[in-house]
Formats: sequence, C-alpha cells, structure tokens
Amino acid sequence: MKKSLSMSARKTREAYCFILPAFVYILFVLGYPLLYNVYLSLRDVDVKNLTKGGDVFIGLKNYADLFGNATFRLVLKNTFVFTIACLVFQFTIGFALALFFYQKFSLSGPVRGLLLVSYMIPMSVTGLLGKNIFSNAGLVNNLLSKIGIIGPEWLVNTSTAMIAVIIMNCWVGIPFNMLLLISGLTNISPDVYESASIDGANWIQRFAHITVPLMKGSMLSVLMLGFIYTFRAFDLMYIMTAGGPLNSTDVLGTYSYMLSFTQYKFSMGSAVAMVLFACLFVVGLFYLRLLVKEEED
Amino acid sequence: MKKRLLVAGAAVMAMMAASMTANAEPTEVTLWHYFDASADKEAIVEWVDEYNSIQDDIHITSTYVSRTELMNQYTVGALSGELPDIGMVDSPDMASYISLGVFEDITDQLEEWGELDQFYPGPLTSCKDPDGRIYGLPQNTNCLALACNMDLLEAAGYDHMPASLDEFKEMVAATTNPDDGVYGFAMCCISTEEGTFQLLPWLRSASGGEGVNVDNLTAESAVNGLTVLGDFVSNGYMSKECVNWTQSDAFNQFAAGKAAFAEVGTWHLAMTDAINGAFNYDFCLLPTGDEGTSTSTIGGENFGVCSGAADVDACVDFLEWMCSKEKEAEWAVVAGKIPTRQDSEAEYTYETDGFDVFVEEMNYAQARGPHAEWPSISEAIYTAAQSVFVDGTAPADALAAAMEKITPIVEETPLP
Repeated sequence: MKKSLSMSARKTREAYCFILPAFVYILFVLGYPLLYNVYLSLRDVDVKNLTKGGDVFIGLKNYADLFGNATFRLVLKNTFVFTIACLVFQFTIGFALALFFYQKFSLSGPVRGLLLVSYMIPMSVTGLLGKNIFSNAGLVNNLLSKIGIIGPEWLVNTSTAMIAVIIMNCWVGIPFNMLLLISGLTNISPDVYESASIDGANWIQRFAHITVPLMKGSMLSVLMLGFIYTFRAFDLMYIMTAGGPLNSTDVLGTYSYMLSFTQYKFSMGSAVAMVLFACLFVVGLFYLRLLVKEEED
Repeated sequence: MKKRLLVAGAAVMAMMAASMTANAEPTEVTLWHYFDASADKEAIVEWVDEYNSIQDDIHITSTYVSRTELMNQYTVGALSGELPDIGMVDSPDMASYISLGVFEDITDQLEEWGELDQFYPGPLTSCKDPDGRIYGLPQNTNCLALACNMDLLEAAGYDHMPASLDEFKEMVAATTNPDDGVYGFAMCCISTEEGTFQLLPWLRSASGGEGVNVDNLTAESAVNGLTVLGDFVSNGYMSKECVNWTQSDAFNQFAAGKAAFAEVGTWHLAMTDAINGAFNYDFCLLPTGDEGTSTSTIGGENFGVCSGAADVDACVDFLEWMCSKEKEAEWAVVAGKIPTRQDSEAEYTYETDGFDVFVEEMNYAQARGPHAEWPSISEAIYTAAQSVFVDGTAPADALAAAMEKITPIVEETPLP
C-alpha cells in the first residue's frame, strides 16, 4: 500500500515537471506583459514621464476617463458592430458554402482550394485592395454604375466606411469558416444520413436534426475563434481607413495603438488594451464552460 | 628557457599589436532614415560612403526604416534602449522624442562648433527642448505653396494666379468642371500629421488682420479659413476624398490635370516630371488671407544622436558635416528641399522659378510647436476639419471642440 502511494506521488511530481516548461513559458511570455499592462493602465505614464519617471498611481481614473469619452464609447460600439456583423455574415455564408462544397461534384475540390486564396493573402494586402476597390472611382462603384446606380463615397462617409471594412473582412473570413465547417461535416458518419433517409426524413429535417446537433461542437469553435480573431482586428482598418473618417472604423486595437504610439498616452493605451482583453477573457470563459458542459453531456 | 621567454614575449607583442590595430578600427555606427524618394534615398547612401572614406573615427551603416516603423522603434527604444546611433525624425515629432529621452543633449558640442547662428530659427527651434537645450540639427526644410494649372485658369478667363483668399475662392469655383471630373482645388486632409501640416496655413491665415496660433483656433480668422475649405467641399469644388488623401495623392490629382490648384510641398518640385508637359503650370504663395499676406507651414527633417550612442562626439561630427554650408546647399538641390542655413546657397538646376516662390514662402512659414504633446494637438486639428468635410459640422463648432482638447494641453505647457 505504502509502496503504491509513493509511486503515485512520484508520478504526480513527474507530471508537474512536464507541466513546468509550459508554465514558465506562459508566465514570462503571457503573464509578464499582461501584468505590466495592468500596472501601466493604473498609472499616468505619458510622453512627459515615460523615461524621466514621476508617474503616479491613479487607480481606475484612466478607465473612468475612457468610459466618459464619447470617442472611446464609439470605438467600443464599432468593435462590437464589426465583430458581430462579420460573424453573422462569414458564418452563414461560410456554412452555406461548406454544405455546398461538401457535396462531391467534379471540381468541388479545386474550387474550394481557390476560395482559400483570399484567406491566404496577408491582411495588409487585403487592406490595400479594399482601399482601391472602395475608392470613389473604384471597382465597386464602377460595377454599380454599370447597372445605373451611383455608388456612395464608401470610405469617405462615416455611415458607409464600416460596411466596406466589414465586406473586406468577410471576404477573408468566409473561406476560413468554410474550411473549419467542412472538416466538421466530414466527421459526421454518412450512415446516419442514410438511415434517416430510409426513415423518410427530408433534407430540412436531416439538416435540423442531424447536421446541426452533430456540428454543435465545430460550430461553437468556429464562432468563438471567429469572435476572438475578429474582435482584435487591427491591420485591416489600419491600412484601409486608418480608423477614419472621424473614428467611424476605429476599433479597440487601432485606438489603443493610436493612443500609445501616436499620442504617447501609454497608460491610456494600456487601459484600452485591458478593455479589449477583458472582453475576450469573458468570451473565453464562456467558451470553456461550454466545452466542459459538452464533455459532461 | 630563454627561448621560451622569447616566444612568450613575441606572443605578448603580437597581442598588443593586434589590440592596437583593433583600437584603430573605426567605431561601428548605425544611422536610420526614412528617405524614400529615389533622389534622397540614393543620396544618403552616397553621403554616408563619402563620410566613411574621409575620416577614421566612425564607420556609418545607413538603414532605411519606413517612417511609421521608425517612429514606433523610437517609442519602444525609449524604454528598451535599442536605438540607432544616429536617427532621422520629422521636425514636429522631435519635441516628443526629446521628452521621451530618445536623443542626446548635444548643446555643448554644437556650441563649440560655432555655426549654430547660421541656421534659420524656425527649423533649429524644432531641435530644442523648452529649456533651449539642443538635441539635433535640422537637415532640410520645406514649406507649402500653391500649384496652379495655368491652362485651366486661362480657360476660366484668368491670366494670373490668385493673390488673396477672396480671389482664390472665385477662381476655384470658376475652374471646377464636374463634366471633365476636374475639381478647383486639391489638398490633403488625411487623419495624420500630413493633414494638419496642410490645414494649418488656412487656420493660421492673416485674414482681416492678424493670424493666430493653434492655441486660439476659435478666432474669426481661423473659423473663416476652415469655412472656406468646408464650402469648397460642400459646393463640390474639392473632392471629399481629400480626407483620405496623402500629400502625394493630392499632388497626383494636380499632375493628372484633375485639379486646377493644389497645395504642394517644396519636394514636389523634384517630381514635376509626372506632369510631362501635359499642361502649363506655375507656383505662387498660398493665398490664405488678405492680398499681400500668406501663411504656410514649416516642414523638414532633423537628425539627432540617439541616447546611448557608441561615440556621441564622433556622431555629432557627422551631423556637423552633413549640415555644413556646402552640404546643405547640395542636399537641397538633390532632394528638392530648402537649406536650413542662411549661408547656404542652393543652385537649383530645375524649376528655378518654383524654388524662388518656395524660398519666399519660407518667410511666411510657421513652425508646428515645438511641443511634446503636438500629436494630440494635431489630432484635434485634423479631426475638426474632417468633421466639417465629412459630417457637415459648422466650422465654428468644430474648432470649439478642437479647442476643448487643445486648451488643457497648452495651459499645462504653453506653446513657445
């Protein structure tokens, strides 16, 4: 008895040794910057005292100032509008394409591969493309004029700039969603569909009662990954609109960068980054809970 | 034993000799710049090679880093200490980097040099902190003037360039031709420092009396200036896309014949090949106010020695060589800029009349700041203009909103 106990104790110790490198890695690579960011966001570090010192602890004043600032509230709203709109469109269109390309027809493989091109292009290039496509005399307005519609000044108006940015992001996000959802579809055994067909289920019933329930895990993963990926968007806006006009396409990522690196309000920039982190953290917790619940089921 | 001693002695001698040669090796020095036009990009490499060949104290390696990336490197380097030895910086940004501790105080070395009084006060001030200590030298300077498409002016019935704001308004309206896609005026109002650079002449104009600085933008003359630009946009005389245009985009509109007038920088004189004889053009002072007055903004790049540089004195020697009387004149011609020294005489070989206009305009050109929080002031200014152009906000309200941001900044640390 005693022997087996010490065996298990040794095994536990060994297990901790295996965890240690990952733990140290997380501590330094993730923990340190995060804690430093929290520290910065609670002080008043700016261009005047970054290197000279003299910055003081001001508690949550930066956060209070941020939420009292109309621009920040707009930026926060933009971030959610951008993320939710992108998720809705890229998920539904991505799912539809996944179902379509899951059908085995000739050329379905190569066409699926081609669709991935937009996902493989670096975001900065996508941003430049978007800037050209949506300029006043760009491709979109040119095509619209062919069917007799005078297109809006996409990137100049505060009401349309966000739409243009969302379209460009979906262009990248749709193939990404499609790819992940197809791999989810391939995990469903064809036998299930076959027996359902024999029982007389039509395609709507098969979709609602077989595909959706069995895809729940993949769908949640895709939505969560999509949320995290979209919520921290930066490069697309930075290149395509620089957050403008008038902050209409500014999101938390670009706003934090602007505060820290253009205006040297380091503490304020950190506070924005913390808000970004907090939002993602909540979503992450939610996702973990769902995963645990699924495992229990 | 004796033999062994001899060998050991020889070895010691050889090591000493080797270390002496090592001492004679020039110190390796890095220089970061963001010159990206073909002329100045090549010139900086040639100049560094030339300097490396005429002295043995330092060996400079020049590296191109894009402007935005270079700015980020300075900000990060302020904390981490990873900075080049010599660095280039846009003049309005210098005050912030001095405050961040990016540059060495080289006042003593420069005073010993004894040529500081030759530099124009505007560009030199941008290298100073509020106490008057100097952290670099202005390497080139420039300002803004008006480029005019003389063919379009003639077609609209004018045989001269505008001399006052009122005349300019009239001409911009007359030269606009939507059927041909020609706008009267093109300028850059992008949401970066470039936008502020081009907006300031209109906001600080001397119309109906005295001009004002950015700590008093609710003054009548500033509101009037922004109203004129806002009316250009709302009447369709200027494209609303100016809020996304960089200065080179605005110049390209002019060069393509899509704008009768454009607000252009001195450096564009080195790029007039783009027009390629398609139309007659000329330059005049920016007509920002009453007849006989003009306002412009000083631009230009400074070079400083970064904190922790390998050999500060030798790096200062390089700056002094680079900004010497002869070299200043040479650079101005190569890069299409204006020398920062009164004793440098640039002998331009192209667009000589154009350069005359810009040199005269320098008399009316005003500095931005210097102020450590200039980027925040700048943001308030371009945001005000964009809200007028994009959202149709009343200019007086937009500038009042800008002043709400600017006033606390200048109350804490006043503008010089």
